[in-house]
Amino acid sequence: MKELCLETKNLTKSFGRFTALDGVNLQIEKGEVFGYIGPNGAGKTTTIRTLLGILQASSGEAFVFGKDAWTDAVEIHKRLAYVPGDVNLWGNLTGGEVIDLFVSLRGKSDKARREKLLKDFDLDPTKKCRTYSKGNRQKVALVAAFASDADLFILDEPTSGLDPLMEQIFQEYVLEQKNKGKGIFLSSHILSEVERLCDRVGVIMKGKLIKTGTLDELKQSAADSDGKLPDSMETLFMRYYSSSV
Amino acid sequence: MNKGNFDNTGRLVRFMLRRERLIATIWIIILVLFSMVLAPGLDTMSVDDEARAQIAGIFDNPIMVSMMGPAYGDSTGALYSGMMLLWYLIAVAVMNIFLAVRHTRADEETGRAEVVRSLPVGRLAGINATMFTALIINTILALSTGLGLALTQTPTMDFAGCMLYGAVSGAAGLVFAAITLVFCQLSQSTSGAVGLSFLSLGVFYMLRAFGDIDSDFEILSWLSPLGLASRAKTFAGNSIVPLFIMLIAAAAIAALAYKLNSMRDLGQGFIPAKPGRSSAAESLLSPFGLSFRLLRKMIIIWLIIMFSLGGSYGTIIGDIGTYVSNMPQYLEIIGLPEEVVATLTDEQMTELTDEYADMIIEYFGVFITSMMTLIGLIPVMLAATRLRAEEKEGRVEHILSRAVSRKKYIVGFVSIAFVVSALMQLATAAGLYLVAATGEKNPFSFGGLLKAYISYVPAMWLIISAAILLIGFLPKISGAIWGYYGVVCFLVFIGGMPGLLPEWLTYISPMKFIPQLPLEEFSLSVMLIMTGLSIMLTVIGVIGYGKRDMTL
Repeated sequence: MKELCLETKNLTKSFGRFTALDGVNLQIEKGEVFGYIGPNGAGKTTTIRTLLGILQASSGEAFVFGKDAWTDAVEIHKRLAYVPGDVNLWGNLTGGEVIDLFVSLRGKSDKARREKLLKDFDLDPTKKCRTYSKGNRQKVALVAAFASDADLFILDEPTSGLDPLMEQIFQEYVLEQKNKGKGIFLSSHILSEVERLCDRVGVIMKGKLIKTGTLDELKQSAADSDGKLPDSMETLFMRYYSSSV
Repeated sequence: MNKGNFDNTGRLVRFMLRRERLIATIWIIILVLFSMVLAPGLDTMSVDDEARAQIAGIFDNPIMVSMMGPAYGDSTGALYSGMMLLWYLIAVAVMNIFLAVRHTRADEETGRAEVVRSLPVGRLAGINATMFTALIINTILALSTGLGLALTQTPTMDFAGCMLYGAVSGAAGLVFAAITLVFCQLSQSTSGAVGLSFLSLGVFYMLRAFGDIDSDFEILSWLSPLGLASRAKTFAGNSIVPLFIMLIAAAAIAALAYKLNSMRDLGQGFIPAKPGRSSAAESLLSPFGLSFRLLRKMIIIWLIIMFSLGGSYGTIIGDIGTYVSNMPQYLEIIGLPEEVVATLTDEQMTELTDEYADMIIEYFGVFITSMMTLIGLIPVMLAATRLRAEEKEGRVEHILSRAVSRKKYIVGFVSIAFVVSALMQLATAAGLYLVAATGEKNPFSFGGLLKAYISYVPAMWLIISAAILLIGFLPKISGAIWGYYGVVCFLVFIGGMPGLLPEWLTYISPMKFIPQLPLEEFSLSVMLIMTGLSIMLTVIGVIGYGKRDMTL
């Protein structure tokens, strides 16, 4: 049996009356890229924040590296790298300073790797974060994540502001980590990205994980009456959406 | 000039008023109630001529005038203006600074202005609409203040005076809105614009302090919107000239802001952003290092502000000996029985006031100590509440998703707030002492002064610990701590007046428990109890913070 990076059992999170996550069961193995897809507001970010111990689960369990995501958060985070979907930074610090800070809060830094990442992602580290575009802020978070020697990468729509060339660079880095045997949890809206990177995919809608499997299996199960497979994320979503209603 | 620079201003004004609906209403209700509550209270206190003369005596004292502004007469109305107007103006100015920044630089920084600019609206429509929104809100404030005061039907507060009191407050507010708009063009960041605007408020406050106490320099008061408003002599002649000066000044300053706005690109400022370090200094690389770095600039600026404020009062105090001769109330204040003072001849009195000048000066030192502490609390509260701002703006996620425990993270901000409290007091005492020491007669010993200031530190800690408690358990309403701060200010300035408020109410403020050195005995037990209490509340707050969901 393969070793698990991450596991949730009946993970449920409610905010007042609203149930954001409803009994989610996830398993991610080492050396696996797991794609997490679903419409806006489906519960992707809530799942991630619960896994990070920023939110406490209402019921159910979340384990990362076999440890409880809430009580052992700090221990877990020593081996984890995270890129949020909406990267908000401190306007008066430079990108370089933020990267160094982020890396140092996890552990040791590798100067050469930092320089290579800055060059590959074409990021000027001397600029104040205030002046960065959305894409550049994401690059700061990506450089900090890939510069750290983590065992699990949690990436929340990390490329929504990147140009196609940077998207390529990003994919290369993800595959590099996968080949090193790291686990990657990737929430994404971009079908080509999911297609190229992900070994398995989970679809979440209205807080419920409605399907997990390889992308091919997902496409098969969403085939229309003529057996035609969905050719885009839109059609995949639409099929699932109409069947879930 | 481009075509249609002001297009769609009207629609933007409506949109801004919609966004202001709640905030402006709360501000106006609080301000109007604040101004209404005290008028009848003051009237009951000053029942007869003697009582009024005693209150009016406050304004013979330059220290009090430098703090509160002048009073023109000893009618209840004139005393009300003297005691209340300046505080009212400061609160109105703060409202206007935040209002102006909210709709201009803050919207630019978050990118909202860009969305609006992409619509068919004029290039200057945003700033123009902000100015009109400020005009509307200040007009409503002016009318409600005037009508509210008139409603109290306080004797000697005539209807025209009430309306003028409201009008000068609104006009001064408009001046500060316009000034803030200028700073919003100069500074590229929201925090910079707010900081510069508050700095200007402080400068205008000090300008009028010097103008108000020395008639040779009265021109300084005419240069400050805060001093100008006093010059309207509300309830004591009602002069309308200062009102017009302020309105013209507001229009002229706003025009300058429009000009500057039209000269720059969206998102840019005139104070350029320099490239910074490509890698971080060692000192930044910890949760504490980050908190310190985020607060460093603010702390340094406030240390300078407190040092200069202390210094400004040092100059005033140096001159005070010349004012105090022949004022029997001072001899009573320092403890001579009334009946003894009444029997003194003028000559004896001069002799005695000279002899006790040091003591009298010390007595006024006490007054400003509590006021300075309140001002020094502002940076301390900013440091503590930054914790919540980091959470609300989603940046806490970067830190807590790394190997940093919540306790370690929050302790950084908390410890800075605690240390900064003492630093602010030290800076004020040092400024006061150093400037007073250059005068002919320096009544202070640095040790005594420092002791007086430091004895307020536990009260500051208690207020911070209340903030931490709120952030730990009720993050969504943690902004209420500023309301509490407002109440404490109110109680320090006004609550001390005997008979105005019920006694128990004054104990809401921790400042009430602090012995006023050197008139009262230094009390180690009060300090220890208060310190212990604040540590306890802080610890509870930290525990709460560790147990709750982050609200991003």
